Amino acid sequence: MTTTPTLLEVEEVGTPVAAGGSPASARRILRIVTRDKGALACVLFLAIVVLMAVAAPLITKLSGWGPYAFDSAAIDSSLGGVPRGALGGISGEHWFGVEPQNGRDLFARIVYGARVSITISLSATVLTGVLGVVLGMLAGFYRGWVDQVISRVMDFLMAFPALIFMIAILSSLPAGNRPVLLVVVISAFGWPYLARVIRGQTMTLAGREFVEAARASGAKDLQVVFREILPNLRGSIVVMTTLAIPGYIGTEAGLSFLGVGVSPPTASWGQMISSSVSWYSVDPMFFAIPGAFLFLTVLSLTVLGDKIRTAIDQGEAAS
Amino acid sequence: MKRTSMLVGMVASAALALTACGGNGNGATGDSAGPGSKAVQGGTVQVLANAAFSHLDPARGFDGGVNNFYRLIYRTLTTQGAAPGAEGTKIVPDLATDTGKASDGGKTWTFTLKDGLFFETGAPITSADVKWGVSRAWDPEVGIGSPYAKQLIDAPASYQGPYKSGDLPTITTPDAKTIVFKLKKPFADFGSVVAQNTFTPVPKGQGEGNQLDGKPIASGPYKVSEFKPGAALKLVRNDKWDKKTDAVRSANPDGFQWTFGLDPATIDERMIAGQGTDGDAIAGSVAAASVARIQTPQLKQRTMTGINGCTTYMGLNTTKKPFDNVKVRQAINLAVNKQTVRDAVGGSALADIATSIQPPSVAGRVDYDPYPSPDHKGDVEAARKLLTEAGFEAGFPLTLDIRAQPKMQAMAVAIQQALEPLKITVKINTIDTATYYEVIGTTSQQHDAAITGWCPDWPSGATFLPPLFDGRNITPKGNSNLAQLNDPGVNAKITEISELTDVQAANTAYGELDKQIMALAPVVPLLYEKVLMLVGSNIGGAYLHDGYSGGIDLVSVGLQNAGK
Repeated sequence: MTTTPTLLEVEEVGTPVAAGGSPASARRILRIVTRDKGALACVLFLAIVVLMAVAAPLITKLSGWGPYAFDSAAIDSSLGGVPRGALGGISGEHWFGVEPQNGRDLFARIVYGARVSITISLSATVLTGVLGVVLGMLAGFYRGWVDQVISRVMDFLMAFPALIFMIAILSSLPAGNRPVLLVVVISAFGWPYLARVIRGQTMTLAGREFVEAARASGAKDLQVVFREILPNLRGSIVVMTTLAIPGYIGTEAGLSFLGVGVSPPTASWGQMISSSVSWYSVDPMFFAIPGAFLFLTVLSLTVLGDKIRTAIDQGEAAS
Repeated sequence: MKRTSMLVGMVASAALALTACGGNGNGATGDSAGPGSKAVQGGTVQVLANAAFSHLDPARGFDGGVNNFYRLIYRTLTTQGAAPGAEGTKIVPDLATDTGKASDGGKTWTFTLKDGLFFETGAPITSADVKWGVSRAWDPEVGIGSPYAKQLIDAPASYQGPYKSGDLPTITTPDAKTIVFKLKKPFADFGSVVAQNTFTPVPKGQGEGNQLDGKPIASGPYKVSEFKPGAALKLVRNDKWDKKTDAVRSANPDGFQWTFGLDPATIDERMIAGQGTDGDAIAGSVAAASVARIQTPQLKQRTMTGINGCTTYMGLNTTKKPFDNVKVRQAINLAVNKQTVRDAVGGSALADIATSIQPPSVAGRVDYDPYPSPDHKGDVEAARKLLTEAGFEAGFPLTLDIRAQPKMQAMAVAIQQALEPLKITVKINTIDTATYYEVIGTTSQQHDAAITGWCPDWPSGATFLPPLFDGRNITPKGNSNLAQLNDPGVNAKITEISELTDVQAANTAYGELDKQIMALAPVVPLLYEKVLMLVGSNIGGAYLHDGYSGGIDLVSVGLQNAGK
């Protein structure tokens, strides 16, 4: 897992661009995405995952098993607690089989695990988005010592061995509210990647004619920033945040895998994968199912982010 | 004390797989007659292990795994037998000619040493060496192992071991073969106490500080020839040991080779495959995930199973509200679903369900179930009734302390799930493995409940119930009475039993005391965990010893074919 998935994209994001055209580009992006079969499949899969996350209690009511309910009958106590039946106990009752040793329903845990993944990654994305845009614009707009301070902080955070630090911090902090802690820690190390791009683009934009025109007509700093510069950064922000989400999902799963994520019994994909490791030879489905969900979610988001970027780049080139 | 041993034992024993590297037993293929078949002389037994031994110094180490190992290199005045079942927990003479002669109403104990006893250095073992070894238990730096010598033998309050305070006047050695102990008060079972590691002879003047942890001075059939802390340990024969003086140790192989630091899953894989020298290997209990894999007839022939002689329990802190109410504690006892707790540690292959405090291996233990439920799945209705009577039908929060260990977490989640219908919200408080016992043993830091375990130091109620439930033993730090139960009736009964001079009668009385304590429900007995071991195909003479947390008796194990 890496906390720097967005790093690669930095150079590629298109040069800053003429204003306007955003409603049109939204429609155009939608059109491009719906025409592309691969992208459509990704959207579909993500829609399912989000639906699972949002409607988790309803879905598990339908499937009949909650994420925490033990089912002793579904496991074989005399064999160390392996699920009864083929493919990890997949049956009409347990759609994805059960967890070894306690018989918790895997389907319910996948559904609730989606909640954890999505909530944490979205919150982290929002937090890094806000931090990155605000600090990046501050640095790029005011330059001078503000830029110096912010840029050095960014350099420091980006050079820091973030994963090791996250593990250390999360394991030393008291249990408390784990999801909030995860979001804060992930965001603290994630925002510089966005801020750096925003800073560079703000610098170019700040020297453009329309900004000078706005200043000449008496606009204050705040107005210039929010009315003139921010709208022009929209494309970059959309692309970078879309591409950041899968990174954060991976980071959350990774931290849970290493035992510093959400605390049990909360279901989390990373944790499920972690506990499945010792069972790989007797119950491979226990690994395969959460693994597949994590893989497909990250893949879908990455592909989709890529398509959106292409669409925006094309739009920019055209305009 | 022994509490640590048990839980470390869980990890360590899961890990104490025998290593099969080095050595020479390539002839270990072909059909085996199973682990119980006869061992021959010679060869090297490999031991694959995850955790290294805590200490090589006999005054320091004190847990089931290390006690078993010490018998290979050290001898004590008496020791446990070497046979499966109750024979193994019977105390037999070792360095001494008998299990001791009591005088002065059980306050003075006299032991006589056998002839022909030598250290690995060739020096004879005298009563002065035994005395030196025992008095090391008072040294604040060295005497961190078995506490019984310090607890029972009379000594000046300021005594700090032979290195600091010199001679201990309450142990006398009238001649080179005789040693006399003066106790604080009569103790009928002192013959079992002198089987503790602290009664190992150490040459007079030696063993200060870390000396023995690096280079033990052997009195048993093997000596350490190579020791890389945390990585490997090699034992070879101690030719100064005379088999004629030792009725317990068969000492079959020419040597032992430990490999430490192996991943438990790796150990299981290697033991299942049994390739090369792994055929000469023994190991600790297999992981739950491997249980299903060792069900083939070939592998079943190589497995051994038995209880580890410990009780895993959940202590309820009786000083916290609402756990000061006996009905609440009883309700929790009724409600816990022990089936799911057992499944959490690996199912029926790896644990039996506990109903009483003392495990089945303890002498005088009575099998009873004070809080029964169908299939041990918990009786929520009966529990709810008790809670309603106590006025807690609306539920309450419960903070459960556990070690940061997957097995513990799985048990905690099972308990959390079982108490949910009673509106008892269990908050699981995970504590770092290294500091766990320190935290829960500090009364001010302890929460409402904690999962832990206890193993008897020898299979008698005397080493089980008084340390856990005597209210007069509650200390602010290093407390083992987790329930902080201070019941006048229980305290009085403990005093009464300790004054009995008949060991049999005392054990029977402890069985009854178990019932008396469980009526107060200060703990929820959860499991008697089992060991499930897979040994190499060339291993013979292996059996699980009840006295050493169910480990393979190392002084009896050997190879079926010692072909070089």
